[in-house]
Amino acid sequence: MNEDFYIGYLPKMPKSLSKIIKTFVILAFIAAIGLAVILWIAQKPFAKSVFEFGTVKEFSGTIQAKTIPFLLIEKAEKNNGLPTFERIPLVAEGKHGFDGKSFDGQQIKLKGTLIYRDDLQMIEVVTDSVEKSPNTNQISEKSESLGKFTLKGEIVDSKCYLGVMNPGQSKVHRDCAVACLRGGIAPLFAVKDFQGNVSELWLLSEKGEAINNEILDFVAEPIEITGEVKRVDNQLFIYANPTSIKRE
Amino acid sequence: MSEKYVAISWNRQKKIYDALLWSGVAVYLLLFIGLGSFLQPNATIETLIIRGFGTCAILLLHIVLIIGPLCRISPKFLPLLYNRRHLGVTTFLIGAVHAVFSIIQFHALGTINPIVSILVSNTKFNSIADFPFQILGLIALIILFLMAVTSHDFWLNNLTAPIWKTLHTLVYVAYALLIGHVALGVLQSETSPILAILLGIGLVLVVGLHLISAFKETDLDKEIVSVDEFVEACTVAEIPEKRACIRTISGERVAIFKYDGKISAVSNVCQHQNGPLGEGKIGDDGCITCPWHGFQYLPETGASPPPFTEKVPTFNVKIEDGKVFVKAKPNKAGTRVEPAKI
Ligand code: HEM
Ligand code: FES
Repeated sequence: MNEDFYIGYLPKMPKSLSKIIKTFVILAFIAAIGLAVILWIAQKPFAKSVFEFGTVKEFSGTIQAKTIPFLLIEKAEKNNGLPTFERIPLVAEGKHGFDGKSFDGQQIKLKGTLIYRDDLQMIEVVTDSVEKSPNTNQISEKSESLGKFTLKGEIVDSKCYLGVMNPGQSKVHRDCAVACLRGGIAPLFAVKDFQGNVSELWLLSEKGEAINNEILDFVAEPIEITGEVKRVDNQLFIYANPTSIKRE
Repeated sequence: MSEKYVAISWNRQKKIYDALLWSGVAVYLLLFIGLGSFLQPNATIETLIIRGFGTCAILLLHIVLIIGPLCRISPKFLPLLYNRRHLGVTTFLIGAVHAVFSIIQFHALGTINPIVSILVSNTKFNSIADFPFQILGLIALIILFLMAVTSHDFWLNNLTAPIWKTLHTLVYVAYALLIGHVALGVLQSETSPILAILLGIGLVLVVGLHLISAFKETDLDKEIVSVDEFVEACTVAEIPEKRACIRTISGERVAIFKYDGKISAVSNVCQHQNGPLGEGKIGDDGCITCPWHGFQYLPETGASPPPFTEKVPTFNVKIEDGKVFVKAKPNKAGTRVEPAKI
C-alpha cells in the first residue's frame, strides 16, 4: 500500500501506478485514432463543388443586371440567326451580392474566380476589376415557361452552395446562408427529382424581384415552393410568391 | 498567500504529461485532416479544420471529465489528476480554434458584426431541428475560457477558494451545452446514426463514472451525528500506519491519522482544491501530504509548514479501549491539538 503513494513532483512513479497510467494513455490514443477513422466513415459524402480560390481569370461578355446579375458569353451556335448565350451568375467578394446596375447591357471585361458545382458555374468578381468597352451588345434571351409546379427542396445561398463552402447547405451552414442572402447574394432553390438528380432554380418573386429578406426564415430547411418554372438560356428560374413556401 | 504554486511549477512528470498530451492532439488532428483530404477531396480545408478541432476538443473534454471520478474510484489514477490543468487549458485552446474558424467561415465578411451574427441569425429557440446551436457553443467557450485563465493557483488564492470552485464546477454546464451544440447542430445535418452513438457513448461514460464514484462514497458519508461531544469514530487497529480513516461526523468529513504511536484528526478537505487529505500519507518529514497535488499539513496543528500558510480545522481526539473518539465540533483551522497516545 505504502509504495503506491505518489505525488507528481516525485521523480519516479511506482510500478503499480505507472502500469495503470500507461494503460489509460494507450486507451486514450486508441480512442483518438479510432474516432478520427470512424468519423470519416460516418460523415455524409461531400458535394463535387470547387472554388478556385487564388486563381483569378479574365472573362469578357455582356452584363445583364436584372435582379440577378449574369455575365452573358456568346456561344458559337445561333438560334434563328440570333446569337445564343451562356449565362454565368456574378457575385461579389465576401458575403455580398454583385451590383451590376451601372454595367447593364454593356460589353465588359472582368477579373474573377470561378466557382462551380456539377455543370453550374459562378464568378466571384474581383472588386473594381470590371472594365467597360464602348460597345453595347444586342442580347437575346432564349426563354421558355415550363409550367407551374410545387417542388420540394432547400433554399440555399448560391455562392456557398456552388462551391465556396463545402458543405454549403443544410443546418450547419444555415447562419452563413442567412448572412449571404442578407448581403444580397441570390438564393437558389435546390430540388431533387424522382431519380434523385438535383436541379437548382433561381428563386424570385412572381414579378421577378429579389425576395431575399422575405425567405430568411426558411433557409436550409426542407420546404416546398409553388411557382412558375422558366428556363432562360442555360439557367432555371422559379417565380414564386413567398407566401407559397411551406415547411415539409 | 501561498508560495507553493511557484515552488512546484515544473517537473519531470508535467513534462511527460504535456509531451503525451500534445502528441496525442497532433496525432488526432493530422490523422483527421489527412484522412479527410484524401477520402473527401472536395471538402474545403476550413471544414476539415472546423470539424477536426471541434471533435478534438470534445474528445479532450471527455478525458478531462472522466479523470475526476476515476481518481475517486481508485487513487492509482491520481497522476492523471496532478496536471489536469494543462489538459483543461488545451481543451479550451483547441475549442477556440474551432470557434474562431467557425465564426470567420460562417459569420464574417457579411453585413453585420460576426458575433452579433451568431446571436441574431437564428432565433428559433423553440425548434429542435433549427435550434441556434452556435449560441450554445459560444457560451461553452466563454466558460472554458474563464476556467482556463483562472486555472493557475494564483487565481485560486485571489478569487478565494469557494468562488474558484464554483467557477470550475461550471465545466459540467459547459459539457451539457456542448452536448446540445453537437446534438442540435451537426447531428441535425448528418444522417449517420454512428455520430449520435459516439456522442451517447461519451455521455454514458462521463455520467456512469460519476455515478459509480458517488455511489462508492455514500459509504463514507454514513454520518455519525452528535451535538458536540466525543463520538466513536473507528478503532485504532483499522487505521494503517502513517495513513488515515475517513469518517463523516456531523456533516463534515474528518481524516483520522495514525503515526508514531499517536492519533490526530484533521478536516479531510485540502485547502487547495478540496483534495481528500485522508487518502494522503504522512511522510518522513511528519507532514500529511495531499494525494492530489502534494500540499502538506502538520497533523497536530492542521497548518502547512512554513513558509506556507494553508490551514485546515483540527479535531480533539481520545482513545478508549482501542477505539478512537473524535469531538464532533471542529477547532478553528490551524489550532494545535495534543495527539492521543496509543
Ligand atoms: C463561438 C463558439 C462556437 C461556434 C460559433 C461553433 C460553431 C460550430 C459550427 C458552425 C459547427 C458545425 C460545423 C460543420 O460541421 O460544418 C460546429 C460543430 C461542432 N462544434 Fe462548435 N462552435 C463553437 C464552440 C465550440 C466549442 C467550444 C466546442 C468544444 C469544446 C465545440 C465543439 C463542436 C463539435 C464537437 C462539433 C461537431 C463536429 C463538427 O461538425 O465540426 N464547438 N460548431
Ligand atoms: S487538492 Fe491540490 S494539493 Fe490538495
